[in-house]
Amino acid sequence: MKIARMLGLDTAAEKYRFGNDAEYGYTAESRVPERWVKTTCGYCSVGCGMKIGVKDGEAVTVRGDEEHPVNLGKLCPKGLSEHQFLRSPNRALRPLVKRNGKFEAVSWEAALEEMTSRFLAVQAKYGPNALGVLSTGQLVTEEFYALGKLVQMGFKTTNYDGNTTLCMASAVAGYKRSFGSDGPPGTYDDFAEADLVILIGANVAENHPILCQRLMQGPKQTLVVVDPRVTKTAMLADIFLPVKPRSDIALLNGILKILIEENLIDGEYIARHTNGFEAMAAVVRQYDSETVSRITGLSWEEIRRVALLFGHAKAPVIAWTMGVNHSTQGTETVNAICNLSLVRGKVGLAGASPISITGQCNAMGTRESGFTASMPGYRKYESQADREELAGLWGVAAEELPEKRGLAYPDIIEAILRKEIKALWIIATNPLVSFPNYDLLAQALGQLDVLVVQDGFHPTPTTELADIMLPAAVWGEKEGSYTNSERRVSKVNQAVEAPGEAKPDFEIFMRLAEKIGVKEKLFAGWSGPRDAFEEWRKVSAGRLCDYSGISYEALEEGPLFWPQAGGETRREAKRLYADGNFETEDGRAKFWPIEWKPMPEPPTKEYPFNLNTGRTVEHWHTGTKTREIETLDRMSPRAWLEMNPKDAAMLKLHPHDRVDVVSRRGRVENVELRVTEIVGVGQVFLPFHFAESNANRLTLSAYDPFSREPNYKQCAVKVERRPSL
Amino acid sequence: MSLPLLEEARTGSERYMLAPVADPRALMPGRKPEAGEQYRFHFDMNQCIGCKCCEVACNEQNGNSAEIQWRRVGEIEAGAYPFTQRLHLSMGCNHCVDAACLTGCPVDAYTKDGLTGLVLHSADACIGCQYCTWNCPYGVPQFNEERGVVGKCDMCHGRLEQGREPACVNACPQGAIAVEIVNIAEWVGTRAMEANAPGMPPAEATMSTTRITPPKNARGEFRKGDYHRVRPEAAHWPLVFFLTLTQLAWGVLTFGRLPWLGLGLLALGMVASVAHLGRPIHAMRAMKMWRRSWLSREVVLFSGYAAGAGFLLVTDQLRVGLGLLGAVAVYASARIYMVPARPSWQTWRTAVEFWLTGLLAGAMVTGSPRLALGVALAQAAMQIEKLVWLRGAGEFELRQSARLLMEDFRWVFAARLILLAGVFLPLEWALVAVAAGEMIGRYLFFVTVVPRNMASTFSGMERAA
Repeated sequence: MKIARMLGLDTAAEKYRFGNDAEYGYTAESRVPERWVKTTCGYCSVGCGMKIGVKDGEAVTVRGDEEHPVNLGKLCPKGLSEHQFLRSPNRALRPLVKRNGKFEAVSWEAALEEMTSRFLAVQAKYGPNALGVLSTGQLVTEEFYALGKLVQMGFKTTNYDGNTTLCMASAVAGYKRSFGSDGPPGTYDDFAEADLVILIGANVAENHPILCQRLMQGPKQTLVVVDPRVTKTAMLADIFLPVKPRSDIALLNGILKILIEENLIDGEYIARHTNGFEAMAAVVRQYDSETVSRITGLSWEEIRRVALLFGHAKAPVIAWTMGVNHSTQGTETVNAICNLSLVRGKVGLAGASPISITGQCNAMGTRESGFTASMPGYRKYESQADREELAGLWGVAAEELPEKRGLAYPDIIEAILRKEIKALWIIATNPLVSFPNYDLLAQALGQLDVLVVQDGFHPTPTTELADIMLPAAVWGEKEGSYTNSERRVSKVNQAVEAPGEAKPDFEIFMRLAEKIGVKEKLFAGWSGPRDAFEEWRKVSAGRLCDYSGISYEALEEGPLFWPQAGGETRREAKRLYADGNFETEDGRAKFWPIEWKPMPEPPTKEYPFNLNTGRTVEHWHTGTKTREIETLDRMSPRAWLEMNPKDAAMLKLHPHDRVDVVSRRGRVENVELRVTEIVGVGQVFLPFHFAESNANRLTLSAYDPFSREPNYKQCAVKVERRPSL
Repeated sequence: MSLPLLEEARTGSERYMLAPVADPRALMPGRKPEAGEQYRFHFDMNQCIGCKCCEVACNEQNGNSAEIQWRRVGEIEAGAYPFTQRLHLSMGCNHCVDAACLTGCPVDAYTKDGLTGLVLHSADACIGCQYCTWNCPYGVPQFNEERGVVGKCDMCHGRLEQGREPACVNACPQGAIAVEIVNIAEWVGTRAMEANAPGMPPAEATMSTTRITPPKNARGEFRKGDYHRVRPEAAHWPLVFFLTLTQLAWGVLTFGRLPWLGLGLLALGMVASVAHLGRPIHAMRAMKMWRRSWLSREVVLFSGYAAGAGFLLVTDQLRVGLGLLGAVAVYASARIYMVPARPSWQTWRTAVEFWLTGLLAGAMVTGSPRLALGVALAQAAMQIEKLVWLRGAGEFELRQSARLLMEDFRWVFAARLILLAGVFLPLEWALVAVAAGEMIGRYLFFVTVVPRNMASTFSGMERAA
């Protein structure tokens, strides 16, 4: 065969033959499946519908689902190649236990026995809260719901949080403070319907490309992009505001001041539906043109132009992502955004809302059902009524439910350092790459008595540290549902079997429940995700996030929005708060007086650059999936550092030079320099997907006081040339 | 409760739900080309967000592995922060009116389809000589190592026949890529003006048919995303041997009395050339297109020359005639490389450098050290003159070639020059030194050419280190 190829008799014609797919027509025969399985994309929170093509038990291709209203058949490059990671060589195949520093493959029974006995031993010795649990935004809602019960009611620790705290926690905390509850009021269609869209710290062209098609619809829409970096999204803008890093609050207050002074506010709405206007206005009035221009680096004329546009817009959307959330003032920035929407009464109307665009595919699912920042159904820990209601639904005593939230993600890490948490269970997340200030985290994990990591991939920097490694099924291998950024619930289906002995997380949770003897109490009669979903429907009934009218059967016909009360099957979105009634005690939204504060670690003479971190379209988070997909990895094979040509000239650095980036906490070595006008003088940008150039060796341990979200987007660094070889 | 300023929320009617996505039918011409017309791509730079969906979808459609991109996305940048312009290009095959891939192909593997005007390639006919990959100024045809043949974008010809849009058009979330019908004569009349865009090679050379809508309000000088990155091209070792050995052989056979040596070199060179093919077994097919392709002519001429050279073992009468034939054959070799898509090859210097290699060997075997020294100095002067020309050239690709010679390959270039001093050695050693030097010269010839191409991205397409 090899000789035939060398001679040129064989041209691998078989492999490259074309075939015909009944539905999709002429295509490479290797991509013609036997059957299609409808599901939802497992990367980001846009929530695109897709079909997995299966042949001989393998996923051979994917297609966007033309009937899915989110994406109407389109997918981003990650989605288009999503089937390719399922059989990557770094899939976790067998349960592993570390003995004498080396992993040994063991049976599931042995792994789970060791895990529970060691967890229970730690809890017996140091108290139930000595166990910490870090989960994710990547599981299905059914798994989040089950996991929440298992952790809080089964293992009885409240120190449970998800990597969603690294992501959209500030949006959650901000919504709660302004509107009384989490839950984005608007929908994606608002992007198409709005006459003004303001994107703040949101690079949708790179991170949510499928949302871009909703922008720029009519000539009647003006797109304003606020970002310190000239992103791909900035290039789409009618007006680009290149703010200085971390100056959004000054900008928002400046706009608010103009709106108030020029009486472009909705006095009647404010009077009927809000509290706290005067206190907010008093703070905002101090943001005069000089102050705002100095902080933001923008001219007052530019700001005024946008303020007037907003003041006269019929349907303004303000949307944000990590540029806002990844900050010690993330929650407050969200409140400032909500202030802006509230003064114009533009909340929950068609094309008019403050919209948080979420990160992970099912971050929303864990927000609603997950028992972390709130109890399932957005119930408040502090509320006796909420606790009694939930206990009643579950048939347990109200005293069994925690009266306050346990520690948030970064506080769990710090509690480990204080030796208060001795055992940690990490599920479907890779903190060694994604958590800020790597050294601190590595030190913390080294102090644990036992670390269990449950993941679809091994080795990852995190699974390598585990004492026990549990192999999990991933997207494409299990059933459930995801809820996207706009509250749209979409079905997730199994197309193929998980490789090796990997099991769906749901099954792992059930086996653990059995092991610790809580299966009958918490999950009586449950055999699959559908049972969890049915219970979740009952538990969410009547809540803001009401799933009671959503059934698996109805979801197979297409996605459904919450709130969806029982008895109705309404395909359209119901926007929140359109009637001006909010989820606060008195039904009024709250204005917050927000003061701008400087970033926690501004550049200095020694560390003269502000480091911004972020993403590229080809990769997902820490790259455990996308870097296994060769097509994507070749497009973006390694990290790079963006630096303005003026700075490069000053440092005598040239394009493609290899440099080290150094902060007070650590050093990232051998990064390729991209000299570009994409970033301003004094700013550098490093993507965070690359474990070998881990941006989080540089970032700092500074967290938002409300959401506990890390300040990923700003820290002070210096850039050094690599000594030449 | 009445809320005068509060509009009733329009709860998602269908007209809003369906508004966002471009209707794929609008991206297709809706009819077939008529006489004098052909299909073409349209690409709208204003719509493209550089997401690379088209690239991934193309590879899925065609079952290609990651190292092959029949459609590629590039990036260009202009302006100064914050008024930076950052734009993307996406390109499949441009289905040119004067397709250079087709003209050069020695085996007629390419056809310009009569009905659609698409430039189609037959993997069955292809022998994997890769000449088209040098001829195309857009880098469109790509050699597939696994198959031993070239492949390229055919606008998803099979899908068009089914009335479906190409995979890239289908995948683009922005509706930036479309298929249109163009009147060929009118298009040529405008010199393919609308196919030009920043970051693209001049369209006139091959009459690219892709219409590009340039960015609104574009200002400033655009710079390719890969502007500062120069990557050496493939060395093509079999061709390094083929060129050097056949040229040396021509010199030895024409000017010396060492027919066995000359014939030996010639035979080795010709065997080496076959090793360059993806499908050596079909080497004979390469003569097919001698009326059109310089590669066919080279094969025909060298085959004839080799046959004739055998007579030198028995008679000297044919020497002058054969010498002239050999000179023409070497010229045919040079002409293969003198193509617009490879600017540092497209110069008289290529032919002169090739001839000088032969003349150098010839001068040495005549036994005249002064003659040999003279030719060696001429070759050295040629090399230095070429470098000066490259450095001072206006064209980006030429300056990049100079950069490769002076930076990445400066020691190799120096060695190539120093080895010319080998003419001072005794003949046997001199021949070895000069052969080695000329071989390094051919190696540099291949690795330091910077082809014309569309702008790439900053990271380009390469394996992680």
